[in-house]
Amino acid sequence: MIVCILLPRFELVVAVGGLEALTGRAVALAPTAGSAAGRQPIGEASGAAQALGVRAGMTLGEALARCPELELVSGDPIAVADAWEQILRRLEGIGAGVESERPGVVYFDASGLRGLYGGSEERVAAAARRAVGVPARVGAAPIRFCALAAAQATRPRRTAIVREGARAYLRGQPVSLLASRPATAPLVATLERLGIATLGDLAAMTRAAVADRFGPAGLEAHRLACGEDDRPRPRRPAELLYESFELEESSYGPALEHALGVLIDRLLARPERRGRTLRGATLAAKLVDGGSWRTSVAFREALADPRRMRLVLAPRLELLPAPALVLALSTERFGAATGGQRSLIAPAVELRRERLREAVRQARAAAGAEAALRVVAVDLASRLPERRVMLAPFES
Amino acid sequence: MSGARRLGGARAARVQADAGGTPIRIDRHTVTQVRESWLIEDRWWTDQPLRRRYWELVSETGRDIVVFHDLLAGSWFRQR
Repeated sequence: MIVCILLPRFELVVAVGGLEALTGRAVALAPTAGSAAGRQPIGEASGAAQALGVRAGMTLGEALARCPELELVSGDPIAVADAWEQILRRLEGIGAGVESERPGVVYFDASGLRGLYGGSEERVAAAARRAVGVPARVGAAPIRFCALAAAQATRPRRTAIVREGARAYLRGQPVSLLASRPATAPLVATLERLGIATLGDLAAMTRAAVADRFGPAGLEAHRLACGEDDRPRPRRPAELLYESFELEESSYGPALEHALGVLIDRLLARPERRGRTLRGATLAAKLVDGGSWRTSVAFREALADPRRMRLVLAPRLELLPAPALVLALSTERFGAATGGQRSLIAPAVELRRERLREAVRQARAAAGAEAALRVVAVDLASRLPERRVMLAPFES
Repeated sequence: MSGARRLGGARAARVQADAGGTPIRIDRHTVTQVRESWLIEDRWWTDQPLRRRYWELVSETGRDIVVFHDLLAGSWFRQR
């Protein structure tokens, strides 16, 4: 049995500072700064806004036309990621192997936990609810898609358990449930326009007909409607290294790139890295307007070279929607440790660099982590002397 | 990673100023010359605005000293 825990409007709740702040207010997440000028879709909308016809993904103009008093709040991806990570860790703390598609929705297989929590899905769901610690909708069903449907259909603070087959349960559910999957979401409007209102209607069609009309997305939708879905793929517990840099004044351009360089050096100098390469990193910023920004970067190959990391990460800074107050860098995944093998005829410069690295390691071993620092120009043009240069770990 | 820190940070200083606000004595040093003075206002759009009157001075021993008066908190700091 797969358990789905659903926290509706999670990103909006975090952005406004709590569930209570949404009561009776028509609020929605403002379009992100990267949206195309003509489109500008809004994010999650509160219940009051939805009652006035506002929906997530609607264009800003349409939303304001339907609800002129709509309040728009900036999203806070950093706070959302932190809050969601806390919830996932608490669920992992009860032994659940969690898979999360997006903040607000998490799945885990309850079969391995029944023995721990009294032998029934209800007890497992109750333990998960306690671990989450905030009001949540919980659904349990044989497959993930059906568990999500059950969680969406149940009332807050309730648990819905689907005992019959998934296909039988999904038969009467609306096709709008397919919007929960990125692959099948674009089909919903077309299916509704064609009069295919329920998943039962879709399942009654032949696979060949669905494939002919809708292609691979249609086949995936048909599979889900027939009660077939992949098992949850639990995430691997990640070891997170995090470094942040307070810019003290809203920064952009070269100053921001210098700050990024300092962050990369600090991250690579962390002893917890133990010589391992990085496969990906997350760059985040707190913005001057009170919001935040976050982007994940996967490196084409695992690396631990500060110059190459900077080459990959620096262009992302141009995507910042507003000047930043704090810049942060964290590891996504580690790769293998950097090899100690040398080529038979090593160039002299590489030999010197390796000796220098070894000297730095020895200096740090002898004198502590504060040994071997270098002066980094952060913002030489700043009018305030303390913002111009700083000491950062030396990474050759 | 510890050790990473900003350079050139301000530290509190004991400053005597004349009626016009010009420093005449800094810690143990008597000021003999004012080389330059300038005003910095920054972050006025945030909850933590910054307003400093800087002074570049020469002491009786010939030392070049930079101090600033935090105009919001009223305290003096030495920066070089």
